[in-house]
Amino acid sequence: MRRFIDLHLKPPVGGTDELELMLRFAAETGYSGVAASDRTLPQTLRSLCTDLGLDLINRVDLRPRSARELTASLRRVRRRFEVVAVDCRSKAVARQAAKDHRVDLLDFSASISTRARVWFDRQEAVLASGANCAYEINASDLLRLGPAAGGRLLSIMRREIGNARRHGVPVVVSSGADSRLLMREPRGLVALLDLVDVDEEEGLGMVSSVPWRMVEANRGKLSPGFVAPGVRVVEGDAR
Amino acid sequence: MPVRRVRRRYLRFRVASERRYRGQEVADAVQRGVLLLYGVHGISQIEPVLIEFDEDEQTGILRCSHLHLRRMRASLAYMTSIGGSAASIHVVKVAGTIKALRSSRTALKTP
Repeated sequence: MRRFIDLHLKPPVGGTDELELMLRFAAETGYSGVAASDRTLPQTLRSLCTDLGLDLINRVDLRPRSARELTASLRRVRRRFEVVAVDCRSKAVARQAAKDHRVDLLDFSASISTRARVWFDRQEAVLASGANCAYEINASDLLRLGPAAGGRLLSIMRREIGNARRHGVPVVVSSGADSRLLMREPRGLVALLDLVDVDEEEGLGMVSSVPWRMVEANRGKLSPGFVAPGVRVVEGDAR
Repeated sequence: MPVRRVRRRYLRFRVASERRYRGQEVADAVQRGVLLLYGVHGISQIEPVLIEFDEDEQTGILRCSHLHLRRMRASLAYMTSIGGSAASIHVVKVAGTIKALRSSRTALKTP
């Protein structure tokens, strides 16, 4: 059985009630895990996740203005968060993020004018495939736009997914929702990928196996015995 | 000459919103949603029909062509408003017969 995961919930500022609804909705519609960005969740919501059987993943979204700021932020947060995403607002930041092994997810702007300038192009895909970071699609970006702008964004996303496929970059689909009304059930998210020519089987992987692999690998790296990929301390020094 | 029966899929869905809707509003919104995403040609292939809608529970059953179930789901997922107010539609279960959906209905009620 597939374990679905929504890697990108944006908790509304001061909206604990809305976040509680979002978590309940996630559990009700079949998600096994959710990642809430930026904010430390209150203990009540953490225990709610446990009660609902949701695996809560901590994620950070970095919005650096320069490549130098990005590397400084990564040094600070990498060991504290299970998933590190970078909002690529400029070409320099996008390129640095794509080649940095500490970055898990590359996010691009939902604004058409910015996305036309900074997007997941071929060079970005080549760098990302070398650094093993994934390209993230936020469904809410599409849902917030009207039909005309939405059509343009779909066209860009289709080319981005083509670049990711050609260079073997994993693609993750998340809701990116900041309210319950922007969340979709896992198969609803997968159905939306029909608009960018992704078939059902591939789409199901983008909301289940691909994000889980990333989270499990990062949890392994953050565990105390980790030394390097494939090397871990299994027993302490007896002396 | 024997004619092959048209195969369909039935979707149980739930409307999430701040306000409550009537069946006709939901039926119109679904038609508009399919039309927006796939156009007239798409609507002729998907053939969405609202079979029933429970205004108390805000849940209902939709029918569509079994070949275009994914497009039906995409149209529902793409909808962000009904009758001008923010709403979303979530598919709870899909079955090949209405009977199968109705038999599972009690299990779908929110606790």
